[in-house]
Amino acid sequence: MSTVRPKANPHAGLPGGRHGWRFHLSVLLLIIPISAGPRFFRDEALFFGDSGLGQRELGMKAVGPWHVSVAEYTADAPIDQGLAGHMKTFAIRWSPEDADRIKASYFRIGKPRSLRAAGVVLSGSPYRQTVDVPIPERAVPDDELWLTVEGWDGAVHQTAIPLAEASPATVAWLKERGEMR
Amino acid sequence: MRRRILALAAGLAAACLASPARAHYPYCTCAMENGQIVCRGGFSDGTGAEGVTLDVISYDEEILVPGKFGPDSTVHFERPAGEFYVLFDAGPGHVVEVDWRDIDGLAP
Repeated sequence: MSTVRPKANPHAGLPGGRHGWRFHLSVLLLIIPISAGPRFFRDEALFFGDSGLGQRELGMKAVGPWHVSVAEYTADAPIDQGLAGHMKTFAIRWSPEDADRIKASYFRIGKPRSLRAAGVVLSGSPYRQTVDVPIPERAVPDDELWLTVEGWDGAVHQTAIPLAEASPATVAWLKERGEMR
Repeated sequence: MRRRILALAAGLAAACLASPARAHYPYCTCAMENGQIVCRGGFSDGTGAEGVTLDVISYDEEILVPGKFGPDSTVHFERPAGEFYVLFDAGPGHVVEVDWRDIDGLAP
């Protein structure tokens, strides 16, 4: 009569048993989403507006007779976009009584020369518009962020926000760029 | 096993085929070339600027050289007198300004 001898498990006693590498891989596949989860949900909340207009809200600003909330979308330095230069994202929200009176809004660093060169147009609903503003080659930390607004009645109003208030991270980045030149 | 490998390969191929979403920021760079100013324009997603308006405007808002980008996405023009800026105008809010001091080879 022959006896059946179980085959010795080379991984016995190790985490995962004989499925060693697959066990470690599955642990890794759990660790990655768990560690990246908070950042993912924070970014999602910012993207969908659940956490507000942006990471740094500047409060309500008056543009002629109209009122708008302005925010720095992310409180980071401008992002390099290759040939198009560095971009900084801002977001705005029009007050409900003004929302249907606004035709278009433009952001520019430095005072616009004309309405045609008012800067980059904001896109989105009146209650949450965003824009990537290019940082001019000659921008300095003392510059201002200009918001030019065109109403449906043909009126054009402007307001300027010092960059130091609009985006301290951009000011720090501009100082660093100035020192490197 | 073979089926699993095929499924994995198909998944990888699909991942490689997916194209990332890209912004298309307008850009315009100008430089002196053979005694003329040459401006090159386009969009950061690789689209050319054929047909896009490029005006050379004086500091007192007079259009000195009206122009449009050609099929090679360039515009050539003589250096105007005085101070001016170049306006790449792909529509309201889709503009790029190049000051004459930022034109390569034309620095004061």
